[in-house]
Amino acid sequence: MNRRQLAAGILSACACLSLSFTGCNREARQAAPGTQNPFVGSPNEEYYMVTFVSGIEYWKGCFKGFQAAGKLFGVTTIYTGAPQYDVNQQVTVLEQVIAKNPAGIAVTCMNPDALAAPIKKATAAGIPVVTFDADAPRGPRYSFLATGNEYAGSVAAKTLADLIGGRGEVIVITLPAQLNHEQRAAGFKKALQADYPDIKLVAVGNGKADQTEAAKVLAGYLQAHPDVKGVFCTDATSGVGAATAVREANRAGTIKIVSFDTDKGTLDAIKDGVISASIAQGTYTMGYWSMNFLFQVKHELVNPVEGWKSKGINPLPPYVDTGVNVVTKENVDSFYGI
Amino acid sequence: MTTAIGLAADGIIAVGMTVALVSGGFDLSVGSVMGLSGVTAGALYLAGVNIWAACAIALMIGLVCGLINGYFIGKVGLNPLITTLGMMGIARGAAYVVTQGSPISLFGVPKSFEFIGSGRMAGIPVIVIFFIIIAAIGDFLMRRSEPMRKVFYTGSNEKAALLSGINTGNVKMGVYLLTALLAACAGILSLARFTVATPTAGIGAELRVISAAVIGGASLSGGEGTILGAVLGVILLNIINNGLILMNVSVYWQDLIGGAILLVAVTVDLLTHRKKIRKAKAVS
Repeated sequence: MNRRQLAAGILSACACLSLSFTGCNREARQAAPGTQNPFVGSPNEEYYMVTFVSGIEYWKGCFKGFQAAGKLFGVTTIYTGAPQYDVNQQVTVLEQVIAKNPAGIAVTCMNPDALAAPIKKATAAGIPVVTFDADAPRGPRYSFLATGNEYAGSVAAKTLADLIGGRGEVIVITLPAQLNHEQRAAGFKKALQADYPDIKLVAVGNGKADQTEAAKVLAGYLQAHPDVKGVFCTDATSGVGAATAVREANRAGTIKIVSFDTDKGTLDAIKDGVISASIAQGTYTMGYWSMNFLFQVKHELVNPVEGWKSKGINPLPPYVDTGVNVVTKENVDSFYGI
Repeated sequence: MTTAIGLAADGIIAVGMTVALVSGGFDLSVGSVMGLSGVTAGALYLAGVNIWAACAIALMIGLVCGLINGYFIGKVGLNPLITTLGMMGIARGAAYVVTQGSPISLFGVPKSFEFIGSGRMAGIPVIVIFFIIIAAIGDFLMRRSEPMRKVFYTGSNEKAALLSGINTGNVKMGVYLLTALLAACAGILSLARFTVATPTAGIGAELRVISAAVIGGASLSGGEGTILGAVLGVILLNIINNGLILMNVSVYWQDLIGGAILLVAVTVDLLTHRKKIRKAKAVS
């Protein structure tokens, strides 16, 4: 079963679940009027979202979804995290959150091993934990909700292929040795090999997370490969650099760019037509379903097996691909302010 | 020509860095100051300030960074490595604070501002013209002007310079004001070029520029160096990187090969330099 089917399956399972609950609820209400709706929590219940480099825009989308779901249940949602890119700091923040004995924690892990221990501690204290965006597989979290990066790369490949008419030379600008970026590039390559025999990947460049460097690198590749028709950038900074390099080479319009993420610079460039499309991650989805999962475990609403807690059975899907969307000139307006 | 646009920012910073190296120090904060000035100008523009006024304020902030560096190095007597390393963190951190981590997009900025980043005059990109003018003025002053001679004296023998009546503290203050001002200029030109200011702009620029200046003949122990040499160093480094790309070298090998070529180039230069000195000694 591939990831898309898995995600679809999970979503429909959730839908069935909630339908059956509303069903039960109606019966319950008929049987004993005044019985409480199981999907109503109390404002005293506090659910935490814990991140690292907590100030960046990316997490805002995640917390927006988390908050929205929390509001539906009538519980309190709190955002916190380590302000810096510092593992010690994030572990400390997570420990502090655990000490407050909250109803649930959604955490994104800067380092998979360092965060495993505090997650174990939280679970031992009976606090449900899910991870989102970046995982700690060795921590006993109930579920991991994130973008499937290889799949995202294959979506980029299809988008770019459609833009250039299914044939010609293309270039990838990525950040080598960073796992999520390597996976995006790998998914892109695989999809080209499988579905687009007439498209040739002529070069993979290093964007170095700096727009000046990315522009310089792409300018070089455009000299080496004058017939290039498309560029896929696995990060937004490279996307901005690529747009400038293409314009400076007087190739705007003839070279199509597919970028990644939805910061304002990228969206403006899509509106302007310099960047043709971008791959938007499901940040809202990560937060929204994290909150749903935590609530369901906390309130013991999900019971695939009687007494799953003592039998070591996970009641939740262990991995959820939160999917991607393709942003183009047509739909760009709806992505501002996510 | 696209390669020339790419190296303009590094080139402008290299002019200041050479002066700092000649004075016997160096400035590690240039990349961060470049990033900070770009995002400051961008944030002020979005807050409704006129773009040119915003640039002027961003240059002032760059000068403040330089002033702090210059004060601690020239007047307090701190080591340039530690002082500018501290400023590197402060300026980069300030850039993160200003932007809250996300890039600032200046969509719809006045065309006149975009012109300095992406326009052309007589077929030459304006940003390259800026670089050539700054380098030419720098090179001329370095050879001919009195203040620059003082920088050389300070760098080659600080005690002697002090005893002969040069206020070396003031000289150093001026040097770090200059490096910061040029870094801030590079930041604003980059902002005009991309119309997006990222807080990560200029990361790693300091080491690229220092190595370019050293390749061009500047000494890490002070008292030696020319702007022309540093500019040629920047061009050489960019040609090496561009060459690796044109030859389709795998991205995983590029840094390794680039570093090795650098080491060989500097060694060859040093050996030929030594031979010349020996010959000169033999003749005399």
